[in-house]
Amino acid sequence: MSVKPTRRKRFAAIGLGLALLAGLLSGCAGDAGNSEKETIRFTFSKREAIGFMTKLVADYNASQDETEVVLDTSGVDVVSASFVRGNPPDIALANYNMETSRFVQRGALSDLSGTEAASRIREDLQPLMEQYGSYPGRTSALPYSVMASSVIYNKEIFAANNIAVPTTWSELIAACEALKAAGVTPFYATWKDDWTIAQGWFDYSVGGQVDTLDFFKKLEAEGVDVGPESSVSFQKDFDQPVQKMLTLAKSYVNKDAASRAYGDGNLAFSQGKAAMYLQGPWAFSEIAKTAPDLKLGTFPLPMTEDPEDLRVRVNVDLAAWIPEASKHKDAARGFLEYLYRPEVIDAYNKSQLGFTPTKETANVPDPRIEGMVEYYDNGKVYQGPSVLVPRTIPIMNYTQAIVFGAPPASTLRTLDADWARLAFRQ
Amino acid sequence: MSTITTPTTSKQGLQKQGRQKRPQTQRSRRRVEPIFYLFLVPSLILFTLAITVPGIMGIFFSFTNSIGIGDWDFIGLTNYIAIFSDPAILQSYLFTFGFSIVTVIAVNVIAFLLAVGLTARIRMKTALRTIFVIPMVVSGIIIAYVFNFLFSNSLPSLGAAAGIPWLESSLLANPDLAWIAIVLVTAWQAVPGALLIYIAGLVAVPGDVYEAAEIDGASKFQQLLKITLPLVAGYVVINIILGFKGFLNAYDIIVGLTNGGPGTSTRSIAMTVISGFNGGDYAYQMANATIFFVVAILISLVQLSLTRGRNAL
Repeated sequence: MSVKPTRRKRFAAIGLGLALLAGLLSGCAGDAGNSEKETIRFTFSKREAIGFMTKLVADYNASQDETEVVLDTSGVDVVSASFVRGNPPDIALANYNMETSRFVQRGALSDLSGTEAASRIREDLQPLMEQYGSYPGRTSALPYSVMASSVIYNKEIFAANNIAVPTTWSELIAACEALKAAGVTPFYATWKDDWTIAQGWFDYSVGGQVDTLDFFKKLEAEGVDVGPESSVSFQKDFDQPVQKMLTLAKSYVNKDAASRAYGDGNLAFSQGKAAMYLQGPWAFSEIAKTAPDLKLGTFPLPMTEDPEDLRVRVNVDLAAWIPEASKHKDAARGFLEYLYRPEVIDAYNKSQLGFTPTKETANVPDPRIEGMVEYYDNGKVYQGPSVLVPRTIPIMNYTQAIVFGAPPASTLRTLDADWARLAFRQ
Repeated sequence: MSTITTPTTSKQGLQKQGRQKRPQTQRSRRRVEPIFYLFLVPSLILFTLAITVPGIMGIFFSFTNSIGIGDWDFIGLTNYIAIFSDPAILQSYLFTFGFSIVTVIAVNVIAFLLAVGLTARIRMKTALRTIFVIPMVVSGIIIAYVFNFLFSNSLPSLGAAAGIPWLESSLLANPDLAWIAIVLVTAWQAVPGALLIYIAGLVAVPGDVYEAAEIDGASKFQQLLKITLPLVAGYVVINIILGFKGFLNAYDIIVGLTNGGPGTSTRSIAMTVISGFNGGDYAYQMANATIFFVVAILISLVQLSLTRGRNAL
């Protein structure tokens, strides 16, 4: 008699437990609202242009009633993790670099060759895209905004000290000495943020002397053999540019460079605390926040004695891609075509001082980037070595170490060893 | 000494009682109510899904050249071979262990001394205890950013104003000294946790042993060394173990302070592992994580065998 109630109780308890568990599990699977519009997630994390893009997305959402675009600005690292989890964004406008190239090479991005946007891209930009590899039979990404970067200089300070834009290494040193003698800091450096060293100090110095395209092609071919004996190596080919970079870094920068960050640099430069600034055009909009009327210009950093060697650093600052794993590819393609409408893409590049990569463009370069147009148009461009090294090699940290006093020879040897090790395990 | 042995005898007494009671409870021990197993199910499922399955997947992928997505191939032990010749990874192990040891010592010395002070008869004891515990409730990344600002801006300008040259450059920008800043900030955050445990331990020490010592003419310092320390030894061990485990996983404070720099001088193991996700080096860093997992198990075994002998735990 006493067994029955206990058993009944037990069953009741088991039932209750299962019900609780079921509730717990189904809670996660619940559908979040059933709207008529198809929602796509659009990743965009260029922080200088988030305001512009927020408005653009709002305009697009208001202009039609089939797709609802949700802007995701959570950043680059989140995107790579979302690929690993199998839940990537539906469309992205992102910096085109070694990281995206991995997605391209392993076929994680869908083919865009059939889109109208793809047919309007300038063909001569193809090498810029192909430098990061491709997937057979696919156009995996389309360039959206090409950025050229070089030395930003304060025209007022240059004029006040009667300094002309230098075109050779010795002219550059003479200009620095003249500025220093006048009590002006020649370069404003923000070494606390290691990327500012890699993209500016390191890339301009190396790119001004070394043919990076050719160098990395040969380095790729050497693979595991990269080292003191190989035909090309970081320790051999980068030594001289790095020494020149250190010449500038040691004598002609602000005293507190090591503890200044990118934001500090923009503010200080807008206040006229230095004559030159090694940053890309993205810094202009930040500088303009505090000094909208400051007269600024750009010129390629001269690293040799021959003005013919002058070149500017370019990168595909934004490229558009749609992941293969997206469940809303058609809606994403619709939004892609909208992004590439001439008036939209021109407006974007005008606002960010970028170059429009489509064939016909009404984009007139801003006076601040006029100094680079002639080099860009004549193809005197290079891609920065820091973006051509796979991200798993901490090159930004290495360049920071060099600037902070680590012996360049041993750091460049480490780079060679890292490269060989990566080739070994892939 | 008799007071110290009293708890031991009472414990033995308890064990005897338990032994006597055993025959009565034996039947229920043989047949366990199934409902108890059911209670385990939710946490078992969560643990399996969130820890075990990803762990096994990670170990599996460490034998491939996967980047986390798309196509991949098996490459055997290549990742493991590459790791052992990778100075960056070896350095991250060296840094993490060195940092953990220094921090554990600093935290425990400071926390113990503070606890002794805060359990003594002093004014405003409660208020002071509250103030000392505040760092524990602030998130690590916020603490790191605040200290980052102090180190990069406030201290250098103080140094410039006071004319102290070595203070003018940021501690965080010095590859040889940046780790000290990380130890300082980590200790600042970790001391309260250890402090609470020490206070609990010190409060539990009976007052009569001190009275007896005082009557025998022991000085305060002798009391601290000969009575307090041995009696809270168990708490010291627990603090060292918990602290060391936590510091081996150091991540948020380093990211906020130096982000592994200057150069690569302050990259912790956790940071190199996570760089596998960002840098498209998933399989390689999974191999690194697997090695770290084995190392962690070895350390746990050593710690278990160290603590098993202590009845205080």
